[in-house]
Amino acid sequence: MDWSLFPEHILPRLQGHVAVRSMRRKPRLWKDTSDFVNIDYGDVIHVDNRYLLVVGYTREGRFGVDEQPKQWVPKVYDLESEERNIVKLVFHETYTIRLGGLEVTCYRSPEKEARVIELTRGNPSFMQGYATLDDAGNLVRILKIVNGQRLDKEVFKMGASHLEYFEHYLSDVLRRFLVSVESIAMLHSHGLKHGDIRRDHIFVDREDGHFIWIDFDYDFYLPERPYAMDLFGLGNVLLFLIGQQNFRPGDLMKNPAFGEKVFDRITDGDLALVAKDRIFNLQKIYPYIPDALNDILLYFSAGTEVMYDTVDEFCADLHRAVARIW
Amino acid sequence: MKNWQKILLAVDGSPTSERAVRYVCNIAPLMREAEVCILNVYPEPPPDYYTQGGRLDNYKAMREARAKEMLDEAVTQLLAAGVPESRISRRVEMAEGRTISEVVLEARAEGDFGTVVAGKRGVSKAEEFLFGSISNALARHSKNFTSWIVG
Repeated sequence: MDWSLFPEHILPRLQGHVAVRSMRRKPRLWKDTSDFVNIDYGDVIHVDNRYLLVVGYTREGRFGVDEQPKQWVPKVYDLESEERNIVKLVFHETYTIRLGGLEVTCYRSPEKEARVIELTRGNPSFMQGYATLDDAGNLVRILKIVNGQRLDKEVFKMGASHLEYFEHYLSDVLRRFLVSVESIAMLHSHGLKHGDIRRDHIFVDREDGHFIWIDFDYDFYLPERPYAMDLFGLGNVLLFLIGQQNFRPGDLMKNPAFGEKVFDRITDGDLALVAKDRIFNLQKIYPYIPDALNDILLYFSAGTEVMYDTVDEFCADLHRAVARIW
Repeated sequence: MKNWQKILLAVDGSPTSERAVRYVCNIAPLMREAEVCILNVYPEPPPDYYTQGGRLDNYKAMREARAKEMLDEAVTQLLAAGVPESRISRRVEMAEGRTISEVVLEARAEGDFGTVVAGKRGVSKAEEFLFGSISNALARHSKNFTSWIVG
């Protein structure tokens, strides 16, 4: 193999790494990442004067779908500092998401993610990193790996029953979530949005348990309601946190603990405002959920006459509810 | 409300916006000192506009040409209804870093308009949540002025 493309001082680590030893071909050096689909395991990305060996790929974490490797988001190993990072390469993707009968155009925007990363540097509620340009001018984001577990996986493990979760865990979960909500309000106050608020885009720090937002590269074109998708996402996350799972009407029938008796109480107005796919009136499933919390969920239900305009309003209501209940 | 005869007419080319223009054409000539400012506010280009090679000046030129057609048509109708040309003005603006309704409300405050007229867009609650409704925003923020929402 011809190793002359690589500087001598990184060769021992490069040649000794399992990602390279296990390959029959020579690693390639990429200074232009435009053609990211051809950047393979064992290749080296050279940006910001760093030699980053590709040691894996992150995976698309959509629920119920086989997790697909994201080729534009390799996991890398810095051949000098030995730091492990996640790199996000430029992938301009536009697609339409369907919410009930409505369609929203979604854009992947490296520039927007770079702006969020810049704004939130040092803020523990957000994943950390920086953006840099490769030789072709692509905006590459180099991210620190979050030391933690996905929030939804943590929440699933809490308590032996929903009642136990509600009585012993929920208050603490919501207090931590409030910090996350405030941090989204801060983004909005700077004209930025998260863009893809989902329960698996919050991680729980392994050391002190604080919540950390990840993945900011989605953007939407909603000129009159620019932050509506973030609000929509926060409502969905709150629903999951209070219910410890999401309920579709059919789920009730399958669960002997609820069955027809609970199913029959559910009306159209109890379902999600936008997609009508899940039950937001959780009090009909768990009657011990206090009004102050359930009322917030009802603002996201099809039966509502009033909706949240801003995350600040949502945040203020959630603060009040938590203070009143606990 | 002394400024009630100062009318800000927000147009967007929709059928209800056209009805709003016709409504003002019926009402304004009955007022002794009606002044009408016709306003079109258009959104910023979508996020992928620039990455696809679009340029802001081209976008603005395209939107302003479209706005000119709308405003010309409204002016023609107002003149035909008997509103003097000296009492008609026009304004076109891009909602830069703001929502369209915010720009309408700012234009209202700047020009001290006592009446704002807009067409109602029939939207479901889900659409209102995601896409918003300018007429609902005007109705909600009507303070020190009157909103006429034409359906």
